[in-house]
Amino acid sequence: MIPQLGYLSLTIALGLAVMLAIFPLWGAHRGNIQLMNSAKALALGVFFFTALSLLALTYAFIVNDFTIAYVATHSSSLTPLRYRITAVWGGHEGSFLLWIFIFGLWMAAVAVRSNNIPLIMRSRVLGVMGFVSIGFYLFILLMSNPFETLLPYFPIEGRDLNPLLQDFAMIIHPPLLYMGYVGLSVCFAFAIAALMTGKLDATWAKWSRPWAMAAWMFLTLGIVIGSWWAYYELGWGGWWFWDPVENASLMPWLVTTALIHSFAVTEKRGIFKSWTVLLAIAGFSLSLLGTFLVRSGIVVSVHAFASDPDRGLFILAFLFVVIASSLALYALKASHMRSYVKYTMFSREVFLWGNNIILTVATMVVMLGTFLPMIHKEIGLGSISIGSPFFTEIFSYLLPPFALLLVITPLIRWKQNRFDSVKKPLFIALVLSVIIGLGLLSVGQSFVDNLALMGLILSIWIGISTIQAVLKKKPVQAQGFAALKQLSGSEWAMVLGHLGFAVAIIGMVMTSSYGVEKDVRMRPGQTVNLAGYDFNFVGVKNISVENYTGHAGTVKVSYDGKPVATMVAEKRVYIVQQMPMTEAAVDAGFTRDLFVALGEPFDDGSWALRIYHKPFIRWIWFGGLIIAFGALCAMMDRRYRLRRKTLSQQALAEQTATPQTQEAL
Amino acid sequence: MSENKRNLWFFLLPLAIFLVLVVFLLLGLFSNPREHDSAQIEKKLPQFQLSDLMIDGKRWQREDLLGETFLLNVWGTWCVTCDQELPYLTELRNQGVKIVGLYYDQEIDPDFGESMDITALRAEVKDKLARLGNPYQFNILDDTREMLLDLGVTGAPETFLVDKHGVIKVHHLGDINPRVWRSKFARLYSELKAGQ
Amino acid sequence: MKAMLNLLFGAALMTLSLGVLAQDVEELRQFDSNAQKQLYKELTDELRCPKCQNQNIADSNANIAKDLRNKVYKLVKDGSSKDDVIDYMVERYGYFVYYKPPLTAGTIVLWLLPILFVLFTLLLIWVKSKRSREKVETGQWSEQQEQRLNQLIEQLNHPQER
Repeated sequence: MIPQLGYLSLTIALGLAVMLAIFPLWGAHRGNIQLMNSAKALALGVFFFTALSLLALTYAFIVNDFTIAYVATHSSSLTPLRYRITAVWGGHEGSFLLWIFIFGLWMAAVAVRSNNIPLIMRSRVLGVMGFVSIGFYLFILLMSNPFETLLPYFPIEGRDLNPLLQDFAMIIHPPLLYMGYVGLSVCFAFAIAALMTGKLDATWAKWSRPWAMAAWMFLTLGIVIGSWWAYYELGWGGWWFWDPVENASLMPWLVTTALIHSFAVTEKRGIFKSWTVLLAIAGFSLSLLGTFLVRSGIVVSVHAFASDPDRGLFILAFLFVVIASSLALYALKASHMRSYVKYTMFSREVFLWGNNIILTVATMVVMLGTFLPMIHKEIGLGSISIGSPFFTEIFSYLLPPFALLLVITPLIRWKQNRFDSVKKPLFIALVLSVIIGLGLLSVGQSFVDNLALMGLILSIWIGISTIQAVLKKKPVQAQGFAALKQLSGSEWAMVLGHLGFAVAIIGMVMTSSYGVEKDVRMRPGQTVNLAGYDFNFVGVKNISVENYTGHAGTVKVSYDGKPVATMVAEKRVYIVQQMPMTEAAVDAGFTRDLFVALGEPFDDGSWALRIYHKPFIRWIWFGGLIIAFGALCAMMDRRYRLRRKTLSQQALAEQTATPQTQEAL
Repeated sequence: MSENKRNLWFFLLPLAIFLVLVVFLLLGLFSNPREHDSAQIEKKLPQFQLSDLMIDGKRWQREDLLGETFLLNVWGTWCVTCDQELPYLTELRNQGVKIVGLYYDQEIDPDFGESMDITALRAEVKDKLARLGNPYQFNILDDTREMLLDLGVTGAPETFLVDKHGVIKVHHLGDINPRVWRSKFARLYSELKAGQ
Repeated sequence: MKAMLNLLFGAALMTLSLGVLAQDVEELRQFDSNAQKQLYKELTDELRCPKCQNQNIADSNANIAKDLRNKVYKLVKDGSSKDDVIDYMVERYGYFVYYKPPLTAGTIVLWLLPILFVLFTLLLIWVKSKRSREKVETGQWSEQQEQRLNQLIEQLNHPQER
């Protein structure tokens, strides 16, 4: 009964989505207010029925309904309850249901929170979102049905959720990531609606920007959690592997970072409009591309779902329709856009353009690196691999100019500036950064690594320059900290975003240059020293829990004789899937992580152990969290919360009277 | 007006790039990302000095394999897929195809001082070949797995088609069955045989 | 007194044995120098496991990865350089096995496209700034018109209250 209800709900949602795609857009075209007003109700309807469907699937997991194929293959009665719920998005079909649920959520959010946007625009935005969602609903109903049953011969017991996914991070990582991916569709819809309306100006930028910020915030969080999870779960303490699926999340992130900066220029100065629109289209397009990458089997990755060329074909056709039509519309309309604003070479506009260029180049590099092996093979040139050494090399070239932009741009004014006015603060900041950076490394480490030094200097320089920029805007009066209260949400966003970036860079270079490891063979009772810490191997005991058995090795860590931590590293075998897994022990710290992994046992009772000391690695994720918090501040900026009833009423009267496209300024 | 037209071409660039990408993505859907070419094609068989698997004291080296087109089949008794191809390989042998076996054990690590129980191994091999068929003229034992490395082998079963000069012509990963034989080996094999 | 001596003796023995035990812990891979150890780590991080789902040979538990790690270790200990080892592996397993692509006509686009893009955008900025200066000079748009326009925009954004 429940699976049928779930499937039926999706069908109803599809019907409503079709109506949403047709009526409001037709209404906007014809100036029919009633039709345009239907958008809100239809959007909420789509969301409601999709939510119902997700609830149905979740219920099936909770009660262990193994008549449903998806439940049987991704759960078992032995699986703990919280993982039975997260198993809803543990596989392809269910995760796609989560995807369209979140799409409905964003649609509902737009429907509810856009009262200050003219009706014609609002109806077009929701109409476009409805149109895009049709493809998703068709896909899930026709090719990826999570409610397929195994009747009449269904199993008594399920196959359990993949052990790698039975983790806290699985509960939050996919939802956060999807909120980001899917959220980009809002900004995309705004861009398409603006192209349709022909009104692409600073006002449009002001409406779209918070939606881009919101999606970007979630995407940042999703990527940060993913990196943190990979760190303690996969591999040996690595935090980014340049895996195609990881790249699929990085590309929209880079583009959206460029977008929010481009928005700042368009909103303030009314230029870069066609470029901003292109970025908005590109952001969501890359999201779709990422979905395709992960679900089609076109790349080899630990993250990819099981490959199915039929599904891949459907998704490819869908993304072709959406992206090709958007880019065609863009080509048609953008070529008519013109901006006549003056600015000199040394102005904030140009420097933000520089930011966009570097971020676009970075996206290009990631795209090329991800797709070239496939293309290279298809042309018949043979197999190549593109991975970490290539990407890290190119990104290390891009970092210095990018950091330089971060340093200078907040200090420059719009329209025009002279280098002389910023020369002094820049120089002071640089000297300070070099002294501090060099000092910290000489004192804190046993040697000075060039890469770390450069990264540290750049990061500190960014930090000092950001503070200088704040002081420049709000001169510090008697009470120093009161000045901080005068900062607006957007200004906080800049400060936190840039500081967070600097913090993350410090984490990356320090851990890369000063991380050490030891691969040893130890008998219980032995001690080994690494980076000043003493690791005493106590012994190994057998373990047996809900759905796995294995060995747990205990290591007592001390520093200068004082106990620091007791770490337990495990090797597990999950009962149902008979899958072996290494669960490393991590002692987290603000300035360093200690990492212990249990290896293979030897015949004489000794064990192989891998021990790591990773300085400042947490700073990478702290930095990301700070950036995300900055985005939150931007969304809470007062100007988005002021009610502009008068403006919207006036605008509505104007626009519904003359529905033809207007020449954009 | 002409400026607008020139503009249009410029703004069509993103669409054009996207269309090219879609073509490649489409091609990618129908190819297997896990499959990649072997680096061994047209390369000479590597030098080696290894013992025979079954006969004490008998040694084999590269020169012994020259003069006739043959298949070099990498296998082990622990390999389940190898079991599946033994009957068909035996059929090929009966049709006159010369097949030499390259045997290895994946678990034994010579650096850890482990050594294999050769008598037990021989009994196992004898038993398996008696049950499923013996396609091999003889078997070479790669105890250190050095030759496997030189051949670019990543697992079992893998089969090489080698011509009379000792040049590798085909490197197939996976089992040999009638479909694979027809599509990858048959024509080239008969050509090489005819040229002998 | 005797108890104390015993205690001291016991403590000394323990400390001594701890020291001895700490030295007894052997690293699984012994190298002649730190540079060699670094080289081994770099190589195992950058060589790809030919049979896995996108992992380097350092992280993979596959048998082939183990064999390749052993081979890299032997080569490094024998004094091979990074290029030597990479060439050795590529010779046998193809370019697929190294995570950095070779610089060929087929891969040059990796570096060429970004560089060309940067040059292209710089050109664009220069052309645009020239054209905007031209437009102002030929009188198609003037500062006066700009000011009037800004006035109009202000009015639209902040309509006079009735």
